[in-house]
Amino acid sequence: MGIDRYEGLSRLAARLPDDALVMATYIGAVSFEWAHLTGEHPRSAHLGQMGDVIGMAVGLAIALPHRTVVCIDGDGSVLMELGQLVVMGQEAPPNLCVFVVDNESYESIGWGPGGVRRPTATAGRADLAAMAAACGVPYTATVHTVEQLDTELELAFSAPLCRFLDVKTQPGNAKVPPRQTDGFEDKYRFVRHVERTEGRAILHRAEQDRQLM
Amino acid sequence: MLDVARAAAIEGLVQAGVDFVSGLPDGWQRDLHEAIEHDERFTYVPVCNEGVGFSVCAGAWMGGRRPVLIMENSGLRVAAEYIARISLGTGVPVLLLLSYRGDIGETEHWGIPHGIVVEPLLDALRVPYQIVRDPSELRQGIKRAQRLAQAQLHPAAVLVSGSCIWDD
Repeated sequence: MGIDRYEGLSRLAARLPDDALVMATYIGAVSFEWAHLTGEHPRSAHLGQMGDVIGMAVGLAIALPHRTVVCIDGDGSVLMELGQLVVMGQEAPPNLCVFVVDNESYESIGWGPGGVRRPTATAGRADLAAMAAACGVPYTATVHTVEQLDTELELAFSAPLCRFLDVKTQPGNAKVPPRQTDGFEDKYRFVRHVERTEGRAILHRAEQDRQLM
Repeated sequence: MLDVARAAAIEGLVQAGVDFVSGLPDGWQRDLHEAIEHDERFTYVPVCNEGVGFSVCAGAWMGGRRPVLIMENSGLRVAAEYIARISLGTGVPVLLLLSYRGDIGETEHWGIPHGIVVEPLLDALRVPYQIVRDPSELRQGIKRAQRLAQAQLHPAAVLVSGSCIWDD
């Protein structure tokens, strides 16, 4: 039946290394929950949408091989673009760990009377961890219990290895406030954090203005 | 792509500060992909579809790399999903280098739809572009497109065709 998602995310947040970077989805309550748990720390990029979170995380991990890169995505988003698993297995950056919060439903679009959610394919026969393994991702697992999650978290941050963890979660959201920033603000906050912690310039510099100084 | 154009493209990318390449090889730019794969100045991440390639480039940019997505113009339709979500939605620059299939001079019937769609689609995505049909313009075209992309925090595109492809 899966674990409570907020509980699972809180355990990830507690274990996350301070210098890690997180490529997270901004879709749905999982984004609100993660932001609430992390105090909206700028190390988390809430920039992923549907079908691009893992792809961006792979690019980020390759760009910064000395940084731990964590990806938080939903099952619907992963299913939208399975080609991301191909590049993840192909490149297998050892500093990348992907956590899929898999509630087997399209929950961010709401639910009907009685709380019935529209299911994703992972509610049926689709097995994301098996897909990732078939794409060559070195370490994959489907997580069903909190105890198993704790074990995987211990492993994930103790030895560099490209990992894909499909964490089965229960439907439902924690009662936390929605996020108030848009994608542009989220982009600036994250990239400025990377600039500060890497000591490098990423955003544009005005050439003409510099000549005035 | 003619050798002179391929050399100009690589020179342009290097001078533009591009150090990260993703994409899907096509008939016109196959040799360029191969040259880049073996060129230590670039990190080359081939992908199975251009949408994944765009996401990978966007993530690399956020990590401080200077990416280019090299693809056939048909791939723009695939990448459009993520150009819209990531670039229009959050402001991320990625240089795009496209083969202009279906342009004047096209030989293959299947390239016609790609030519019909590419410019309206670039406009719809608000991606400025330059069509380069002379290899002597390719190096500067790439440099200048990259400058614009960085200034606007949005993709800019160079489309190659004409005398970059045919010596006729």
